[in-house]
Amino acid sequence: MRIDRTHKGWLIVSLAIFGVSLLLYGLYRVPAAKGSMGGTAMGLWFGSVGFSFMIFAGLLGARKRVPVYRFGRAQTWMRGHLWLGLLSMPLILFHSGFRYGHGLTALLMTLLIAVVASGVFGAMLQHYMPRVITREVSMETIYDEIAHVRAQLLEEAEELIKQAVDGEKAAAGAAEGDVAVVTVPVSDQAAPLRNFYEQEMRPFLEKPGRRGSALGDAAQARSAFSQLRTLVPAPLHTTIEDLEGICEEERQITLQSQLHMWLHGWLLVHIPLSLALILLGAVHAVMALRF
Amino acid sequence: MLFEELKDIARQPDGTPVAAEDLLRLPVFKDISPQFLKKNANATVWRHFRRGDVVCREGEFGSTAFYILEGKASVELATPIAHVKARGRPSGLLARLTSKLTSHLAARGEDRREEEADRRSIPIDAPVDLSYDHPVAELGPGELFGEMTCMNYYPRSATVRAETDCTMLEMLRNVLDVLQKSKAFRAQLDETYRRRALDSHLRDVPIFRGLTQDFIDHLRGRVELLRFAPGQAICKQGDPADSFYLVRLGFVKISEGYPGGELVLAYLSRGDYFGEIGLLGGGARTATCSALDHVEVVRISAEDFRAMVEKYPGVRSGLERIAREREEANRERLRMVRSVPLESFLAQGLMEAQSLLVLDLEKCTRCDACVTACADSHDGVTRLVREGLRFENFLVATSCRQCRDPLCMVGCPVGAIRRRNSLEVIIEDWCIGCGLCSKNCPYGNINMHSFTAQAEDHEHPGHKKAVVQKKATTCDLCTEHAEPSCVYACPHDAAHRVEPRDFFAGTLGQRVGRTGKAAQ
Repeated sequence: MRIDRTHKGWLIVSLAIFGVSLLLYGLYRVPAAKGSMGGTAMGLWFGSVGFSFMIFAGLLGARKRVPVYRFGRAQTWMRGHLWLGLLSMPLILFHSGFRYGHGLTALLMTLLIAVVASGVFGAMLQHYMPRVITREVSMETIYDEIAHVRAQLLEEAEELIKQAVDGEKAAAGAAEGDVAVVTVPVSDQAAPLRNFYEQEMRPFLEKPGRRGSALGDAAQARSAFSQLRTLVPAPLHTTIEDLEGICEEERQITLQSQLHMWLHGWLLVHIPLSLALILLGAVHAVMALRF
Repeated sequence: MLFEELKDIARQPDGTPVAAEDLLRLPVFKDISPQFLKKNANATVWRHFRRGDVVCREGEFGSTAFYILEGKASVELATPIAHVKARGRPSGLLARLTSKLTSHLAARGEDRREEEADRRSIPIDAPVDLSYDHPVAELGPGELFGEMTCMNYYPRSATVRAETDCTMLEMLRNVLDVLQKSKAFRAQLDETYRRRALDSHLRDVPIFRGLTQDFIDHLRGRVELLRFAPGQAICKQGDPADSFYLVRLGFVKISEGYPGGELVLAYLSRGDYFGEIGLLGGGARTATCSALDHVEVVRISAEDFRAMVEKYPGVRSGLERIAREREEANRERLRMVRSVPLESFLAQGLMEAQSLLVLDLEKCTRCDACVTACADSHDGVTRLVREGLRFENFLVATSCRQCRDPLCMVGCPVGAIRRRNSLEVIIEDWCIGCGLCSKNCPYGNINMHSFTAQAEDHEHPGHKKAVVQKKATTCDLCTEHAEPSCVYACPHDAAHRVEPRDFFAGTLGQRVGRTGKAAQ
């Protein structure tokens, strides 16, 4: 999601809420004899509003589970999640009087900071990463299909090598009847290609994340293939080009996987922390109000 | 029985190979080499069906043809004659809040779609076509069915059931291939076609619809039945146009050559026609028509036709109107392709679509919420694949790629899938759900949707039973809602439904031109 001028409305409203809250906090804090506390009327008001913003933000997950229900566009829910979730932080700080507390309240404050920080981090990733993926991964495929595409690339490479080697064997067979003396048997001319495939390319295609593979880096791969071209006859250069294309596609898939992990991996931290925050927040509310 | 003398041998068990000497006693086999029949001893077998037995089912793949010797069989389409349509918006606040689009089947009368075929008969792989309103017919002795399945391995086009006890010959392709070269067999096939199917084929041609029976009978005796081998050109772009053709069997590829390559306009199958302009005489072919597989066509020459056109001026004016429209569309298309590369032209074909679904890749986080929403909206069957043509940072996830070569159309046993003039695919009501188009589409844009339908229970006559039927379907952009479900469900403002011209001209700043009413 790009945070652009279409968020202006939300920004203005959020700033207005923050401004009003800040004003109220200032007006309430100054005359308060013991300082601002969560248990005062104003403190409770800040806490309630802040907590309800958190609950709304947390409901985004539930909203996504029923995508076709017409409870408001998913985009509206997402923007509400972002801005109201962000707003919950100053409101809770006003509620606590900027005290860290101890025990449960300290834990809650830590969780709140972690959730907001991870959320901001995630929002930044979602702002920038789609552009990076679009720019850098020209051969993008659907993420869930990556394993299948990788298998297809390996199969294609195997077939290319088989055809290249079989082609050379056929040529060798045809040349057997020739009387002329040949210094290098025709059938061995594909050997460098075959060796390169078995030692370098197949391991790379089977385990693309493997460190140390020259084919994992575009410049090194280019150099390796250029060197290979000097070792095999011209008719095999087309096969080398095709193999080079396969390696490039594999590198793109690897890059796409990595970028995808960045784009979505932060949720593995953000979501559990959010759930913990809401749950413990509810416990805190009950305990604080009842006892 | 068709051949009384065979009664003594016809009692051989079901599945027994027919001996060569027994086959040679049948008039249709009399031209066949005895050595060939002996070498292919197991290629033809006796088949016996009791009343009510199913001989073959629509949508099943097969490799044999059947020749009826005795008895009667019914040929029908068990599939509902209807297309997939999303149900409209429910009323009431709570219903609308929880609204899910459910898909149902709608026939032509309930939902008329743009450029839907209005043909009255459904072409099948048999000597007779089925009426759209009542898709049941009868086959009798001396009739062959399953030719397309046998020759080209396409799915069975209809369900054939024995109405009385039947005896048939079931044969493999090598035998049918040789039979088709036999004069006696060809004569019988031709006579059956002229008597049973030619009438409905001609009447499905709009310009012939209002003609009298006399005219049809006149044409019946004058037409020529021609065969073409796979790859053979029937007529070439630029050749003088002098004939009109109806497709009796197989698939004909219609393609136009442009700078930059060839564009396949259509794959025509049984009951389709081409070359109307040739009936007026003069002019040149605007497309190349070639046999994709084993093809048989009915040819009506311009000379034969001209005499009758003088008698029916209405036919001539209809032809002239079609010819004018076709020529104008071809001129416009050629003008467009001359000014832009062919690929851009094909992309511009997107502009003729009603609307496009566009994903902004710079906002899309690849979360697949759109795909999930589409599936949830359509009974678990997604019609959206997050793949498509790319224009700058936009991905056009259209329902159809309007491919240069529409592989989806090849092999449809009932000719239910064809192109609109916008090049977008439409699936007709008589789709039997065999799934071949879905398998053939390289982009996964055609999906099979299952429905529960009521069908005749042949084991309990007069009763119906629930059966699961499938229909092929493509994205319809959820026209029942203000926003498609995929757009509604996108949390990142990345999915949009756009008007094509605004998108290409406004957003991308591309030159927009009309591809002209090849559409109309």
